[in-house]
Amino acid sequence: MAFFLQLVVSGFLTGSVYALMALGIVIIYKASSVFNFAHGSIVAFTAYLIWHLMVNLHLHIIFAVIISLPVIIIIAYLIQRLILYPLTGQPPLAAIMATLALAEVVNGAITLFWPGPARTYPKFLPTGTIQIGTVFITLEEIVNFIICGLAFTGFMLFFQKSKLGLTMRGTAEDHQLARSEGVKVNRIFVLAWFIAIIMAGIGGFLMANMHGVNQEPLIALGMKSLAVVILGGMESILGAVIGGIAIGLLEALGAGYLDPLVGGGVEEVFPFIILVIILLIKPYGLFGYKRIERV
Amino acid sequence: MLKKPCGTFDETYAQDIACIRTPFRAGLLILLLLFIFIIMPLVADDYVLGIMNVIGITVIAMLGLNILTGYCGQISIGHVAFIAVGSYTSSILSEHLGWQFWATFPSAILVSGLLGLIVALPSLRIKGFYIAISTMAFHYITIWIILHGGDLTKGVWGLPCEFPIFFGISFDTERKMYFLIMALSVLGTIMAFNLVRTKFGRGFVAVRDNDIAAEFMGLNIFRLKIMAFIICSMYAGAAGSLYAHYLGMITVEQFPLIDSIWYMGFLIIGGMGSISGAIFGAIFYRLIAQVVIFTAPMIGEAFPSLSVSGVAGFTQILFGVLIILFLVLEPRGLNHRWQITLSSFRLWPFPY
Repeated sequence: MAFFLQLVVSGFLTGSVYALMALGIVIIYKASSVFNFAHGSIVAFTAYLIWHLMVNLHLHIIFAVIISLPVIIIIAYLIQRLILYPLTGQPPLAAIMATLALAEVVNGAITLFWPGPARTYPKFLPTGTIQIGTVFITLEEIVNFIICGLAFTGFMLFFQKSKLGLTMRGTAEDHQLARSEGVKVNRIFVLAWFIAIIMAGIGGFLMANMHGVNQEPLIALGMKSLAVVILGGMESILGAVIGGIAIGLLEALGAGYLDPLVGGGVEEVFPFIILVIILLIKPYGLFGYKRIERV
Repeated sequence: MLKKPCGTFDETYAQDIACIRTPFRAGLLILLLLFIFIIMPLVADDYVLGIMNVIGITVIAMLGLNILTGYCGQISIGHVAFIAVGSYTSSILSEHLGWQFWATFPSAILVSGLLGLIVALPSLRIKGFYIAISTMAFHYITIWIILHGGDLTKGVWGLPCEFPIFFGISFDTERKMYFLIMALSVLGTIMAFNLVRTKFGRGFVAVRDNDIAAEFMGLNIFRLKIMAFIICSMYAGAAGSLYAHYLGMITVEQFPLIDSIWYMGFLIIGGMGSISGAIFGAIFYRLIAQVVIFTAPMIGEAFPSLSVSGVAGFTQILFGVLIILFLVLEPRGLNHRWQITLSSFRLWPFPY
């Protein structure tokens, strides 16, 4: 029972980071109907960027984050203007392949700029473990959870209350209607990419802070958030939260109980097995819209 | 629409459905076959033949992907997983049971086809990028199973695989393998070329263009999609089996997800939905990779700060940018350009 509780708690805490990263994919999909396969690479890229600013340029964490924001805006603008805008109206394969190729470009840039073994952030959080009953939680996990919660709340407030957030929601509903109201739709797309990359960056930073800045695991992390999005439903923000936590829980439980049976490494593949099962049973996810197509 | 030279008319049905319509084209085809099977082995050294061998294997794999994605419209980012399954089936049968190539090759095709059937099952209810994601998940699961296969797959250590032996002759050199690989890729091309002219090939195109409309017209789209997946994975299995027997040793690192993306991307660069496009894509893919191998030392000299992995990163950036450029500027690929050139020659001196 203690083992089970431990798995549930750690799975829940990891799942909150998954939820945050899945949110990035959902935002882009809602705004521009592009499914972002490059998410994992962008997660890794932002983690490396912040590492570079903190370690090579000796900046404080807060300045590192502030400096990386304009870089993210430029990247978001370039992605939208140079790649996705010319592909508007093309079949879905074009956007899929464009984001996949983009993922490889970003991966290549990471190997080009930061080759070699994994890196670690300088410690800026208190380390330690607290015990609640029989469950051990590291302080880092709690801080991660709080940061995820704050990021989520901040985004929801922006999305529900601010004028720009409402404009984004309107654009997600209907591009033409939004355009006739004077909304610059392309700017909203850039904004969506900007927010998504920030979410990816926060998630990547938190995970890299716990497990080290390493290209492969961070990309795999982004790939797992694909499973989260499929479970929750493509269009649903609530689905991203529930899906993230569910995948985190299932992964932790699957790894905890199945690892001894098959010899380790279950958590690498478990989200994908879940993904295939969801696609077989409930292809549009828990909260996704069921599409009705006409010829 | 294939344009014919002025004055060439189809007067019988046999002429209308003929693959080779004019004596000129027949001559070109014979010249091409002569070039592949007689001139190349005479003039080329082992290094060039090695490149040609890899191109031949890639052509087989690319033809399969072209049938699934180019003709049937189902996006697959798990193509390398099928190739891996073909490779490993061959190697396991060769290593553990001591089977010969003539037995492992069809078995690899069958096992891959069976797996294609399983992967195709979700396609009943989903389409578009959902299929892309499910094939990608399938890739991760396959590689994981291979890594944790214990004695059967030897995990990260990889498996040896014997060279093909026919009638006591071992195909252990590039030159001998060249004939086998080229013969099989020409055979695969002819099969693919004929397949897309059949009832099923036209059904695939109907499903690609609009699956609901295709269903309204009485096509069983689920069956067609499953068929496309099976044919695609069988081609991949054949390519994988050849690859294993050609290299003599396979490890799981030879089948990364990124290669599936390159297959898909270079199929687009070559031109989707046409056999010649798939062949162009395969050739372009391997030639660009060769160009990178040649220029890598120069890049290393020009930027000494880059490490070996930095040059690998450069390859990724180059391939990715190429794919994006083709998507944005010429989504119909090299084949489209080739057809424009051809028809302008045929119609000369008239503009159209």
